[in-house]
Amino acid sequence: MKHAIISCLHANLAAVKAVLNDIDQKGISDITCLGDLVGYGPQPNEVVDLVRERDIASCQGCWDEDIIEGLNACECSYPSQLAEKRGHLAHEWTAEQLTDINKDFLASLPTSIRRDRILFVHGSPNSQHEYLLPDMNAFAALERVEKAGADTLFCGHTHQPYVRELKNGSIRVRLQNTSNHNAEEKEINLPMRKIVNAGSVGEPRHGSTNATYVIHDDVTGEVEIKEVAYDIGLTCQAIIDAGLPRIFAWRLSHGFEFAEQAEDASHVCER
Amino acid sequence: MIERWALVSGLKGDLETYELIQRDLKKARGVTALFVLGDMVGPERNCDALLNRLQNPRRDELQPQCIYGWWEEQLLTEQGLRGQQKADALRLNQGQEAVTALLNAVDTYHLKWLSSLQFGFIELDCGLIHGSSADIGDNLTPETSPLILIDRLTRLDVNRLFTAHSTKQFHLELTGGGLDSQVKDLNGESQYQQKVSKQSIIGIGAGANYTIYDIGSDETHFLTVGGQYNTKGKGFA
Repeated sequence: MKHAIISCLHANLAAVKAVLNDIDQKGISDITCLGDLVGYGPQPNEVVDLVRERDIASCQGCWDEDIIEGLNACECSYPSQLAEKRGHLAHEWTAEQLTDINKDFLASLPTSIRRDRILFVHGSPNSQHEYLLPDMNAFAALERVEKAGADTLFCGHTHQPYVRELKNGSIRVRLQNTSNHNAEEKEINLPMRKIVNAGSVGEPRHGSTNATYVIHDDVTGEVEIKEVAYDIGLTCQAIIDAGLPRIFAWRLSHGFEFAEQAEDASHVCER
Repeated sequence: MIERWALVSGLKGDLETYELIQRDLKKARGVTALFVLGDMVGPERNCDALLNRLQNPRRDELQPQCIYGWWEEQLLTEQGLRGQQKADALRLNQGQEAVTALLNAVDTYHLKWLSSLQFGFIELDCGLIHGSSADIGDNLTPETSPLILIDRLTRLDVNRLFTAHSTKQFHLELTGGGLDSQVKDLNGESQYQQKVSKQSIIGIGAGANYTIYDIGSDETHFLTVGGQYNTKGKGFA
């Protein structure tokens, strides 16, 4: 059976509607959302309402967590003080706009969803703030999936969709300790594992303005990355009308977002 | 010139053992630095004398460079000097009695110094940490999955990680292997193989068991207080 995975909606109603419409047209009813329903975008309540109405199973993203818990990510998530200031503005605006019911809904979301050997998270099994980029050290990436007890890990957060297969792995080690004067050598064969990043519906950062999501076939294991065009102008106008920083509209209309991409992608905020 | 480091941990207030280690180090050639990787305090005995000595070393001793360990973290947390929580890990594992004993074992006079200590040191291409880059209580042993060990090395971007929390003495070297990575995105597919870098995790022991590391030869020597320093017998390259 096929099922759709969406992530990083970021309060962009036009993009969310377009993606859900695309999924509906394919006859797929099983949808999982990997969080960040809100943040940056101009329609947080409308997007949360829609996810609730459609009863879409969702993880809590870092933005969802921050809106509930107060700003939890430290400044190291931002490449500059200017970017951090803009992020804080968006946080405060979103927190003001969200209804109590929708805040309660975001607070109720789990940090992960498990279906047998498939795990769904926002950032990584370690943290909602950790970026699993496609060029991350392969062994460290495999460790994230293995530690979580999964065969396939679905994540978002980077806003860059990809499918990464990790296979044919082995590690040779030599051990010496106080009880063995002759070194003990052994080779460990590593399992094959897969990481799927669903990209972003509401704030793509993969070089195009289109929203992205993925379709997973749980029989064949096949994963398709989908791109969906939507009315970007509508969201950009809503950003400006809401009084949010204009740069949010600019970057949405250019498709690649430089300002808020973390310099140290493997950094995990511990604050 | 020979340059060696001495690495010590888990003294838990035991000044006598510390003095014996210092005595051993005077006889060892080329030891230029002494790193104390945490757990200087513990609930078993009063720790004030050891803490005084570490802060005020004698002129003829190696000057210790200290970081905090799991027991210091529990103490500082319970005293409200680390975040908003209490020493829940200790309370959960060993009960309130252990928490009370720990509080009684360290004069509050030392808290300022203890709270000023760093999480770890990076020296040359080596990381020196009580647990690991992931957590102060990370229990790295020879049985730990090599995937986890590589992750801990990668997080710090070092070639050798000296760890103490397990209290074990071991030298585990990653000697080879690889992992194929195939990435598909909207631009197409790419494939590459990541090789295992030659890296090591070294457990330095605790209390009377300590380690000497020879920078030039990359050899580790696992020692016990009062034991013979022997560059061949227990040297692991």
